[in-house]
Amino acid sequence: MGQQIDIKKIDEKIQLLKKTTEELNQQCQDFPAIARNTVRILASVKMLEINVSDLVELDA
Amino acid sequence: MDDQQKYWNPVLETLPQEKIRQLQLKKFKQIFKWTYDRSKFHRQLYARAGIKPDDIRSFADIKQVPKVEKSMMRDIQRKDPFPYGDALCVPLEDVAVFRQTSGTTGQPVYQPDTWQDWEWWTECWSYILWAQGYRPRDRVFIPFGYNIFVAFWAGHYAAEKLGCEVVPGGVLDTKARILKVQELQATAMMGTPTYILGMAETAKSKMGLDPSKLTVEKITCAGECGASIPSTKRRMEQAWGAKVYDHAGATEIGAWSFECSEQPGGMHVNEPLFLVEIEDVETGEIIEEPGRRGKMIITALDRQAQPCVRFDSKDVIEWADAPCPCGRTTRLIKGGVVGRADDITKVKGVLLAPSAIEEVVRDLDGLGDEYEVIVEKDGDTDRIKLRVEVLPEAEDQCQLIEAELVDQLRLKTNLRYDIEICGCETLPRYEVKAKRFKDLRKKE
Repeated sequence: MGQQIDIKKIDEKIQLLKKTTEELNQQCQDFPAIARNTVRILASVKMLEINVSDLVELDA
Repeated sequence: MDDQQKYWNPVLETLPQEKIRQLQLKKFKQIFKWTYDRSKFHRQLYARAGIKPDDIRSFADIKQVPKVEKSMMRDIQRKDPFPYGDALCVPLEDVAVFRQTSGTTGQPVYQPDTWQDWEWWTECWSYILWAQGYRPRDRVFIPFGYNIFVAFWAGHYAAEKLGCEVVPGGVLDTKARILKVQELQATAMMGTPTYILGMAETAKSKMGLDPSKLTVEKITCAGECGASIPSTKRRMEQAWGAKVYDHAGATEIGAWSFECSEQPGGMHVNEPLFLVEIEDVETGEIIEEPGRRGKMIITALDRQAQPCVRFDSKDVIEWADAPCPCGRTTRLIKGGVVGRADDITKVKGVLLAPSAIEEVVRDLDGLGDEYEVIVEKDGDTDRIKLRVEVLPEAEDQCQLIEAELVDQLRLKTNLRYDIEICGCETLPRYEVKAKRFKDLRKKE
């Protein structure tokens, strides 16, 4: 099962999601509804990194 | 799709051991540096040992990192910033959740978590619940007094993350909880072994209800060793007609271990998220081979606000000698957490683990679930008394039961006991963690 999953491609999407969310967070510091929700999204993105990205970096 | 997918994380849970070790080393370096850079307490501790982040290059280097004990965490909390002290690695305003230890062994330790830490707690529990067969179709009833103790909070949110329907059984009393399980046809529950057995007893003796006829299919236990003690697990499974699974976690650590649906006689250590070392209590040597018991030293590899780096948990564990048939490549600890280093005591010169007594008592059919062990001094001699409850249907077999108890206890613990057989429902009942072992010698 593990071999069928392309973790590098998944990681690319995760990093894109992270970058977009960080930018949104930075742009909206005066907009609490965006700023606080993006903090939560980034915490979830970190779980994606724990589940996949940490391993990709190991292979690099 | 859900039923076909066996693993929460099909990549990490099937990673070869060699890769897991590489990942652990990489993550240990990261969490060590994070902690060193941000926690004054840890930096001073490591400075006294002459260790800096760049010194960590191998597992041999990790063994040199000083351990942290619970008593140190209590001392830290007398310092700023209030109320956590100088092991806090994030600004106070980033702390999203307060919890504290239950304080069964002294002054409670406060535990701050950021929102990311709380997501991580929930993620750890997601591995547990998925491995135990929780799926979106489940309706999960949680008979837990939601409060400052972490207990089943993370189980609650992990079940939500999995897509289950969660019913919080907070301030209801035991009867009301049982009725709610019946009314909603709950398929899963979470609780301490003591409470799960207590619920079954209440249902049978006070409500005339047979819990095995309800709809509960699986129960996840925590807080006590019981779900890994075969006779206690069997009692719970028979009472509820459900599979009972163990898991291990702690406020200062996280949810680090779990039994999978194969029930392999042990628990998986979630090794991609935690580094578990087993230390020989006498020599301090790190035990790598199966079959030798020691106390657990653990590192939570991703926890940030108040990191857990080489924490001396006092849990007594041993590595299993065979992989699990479930296919997960993470190592198993045989028989779960078999005790705590500070619970194992010498009686008449013999090392005694209270869990061995529970195994014998719960294995005898004529006895109830409750028992009490009292160790006291009689002059210079230790005496150990075991009080048990006989079930009404076995009251005419007291002599036989006593003889069987004495034989089995001598076989399993190498000690002789004074047995007191009590009537049904005469011993104390416990709602959460039970205190059945009373060592009165320590007060003298």
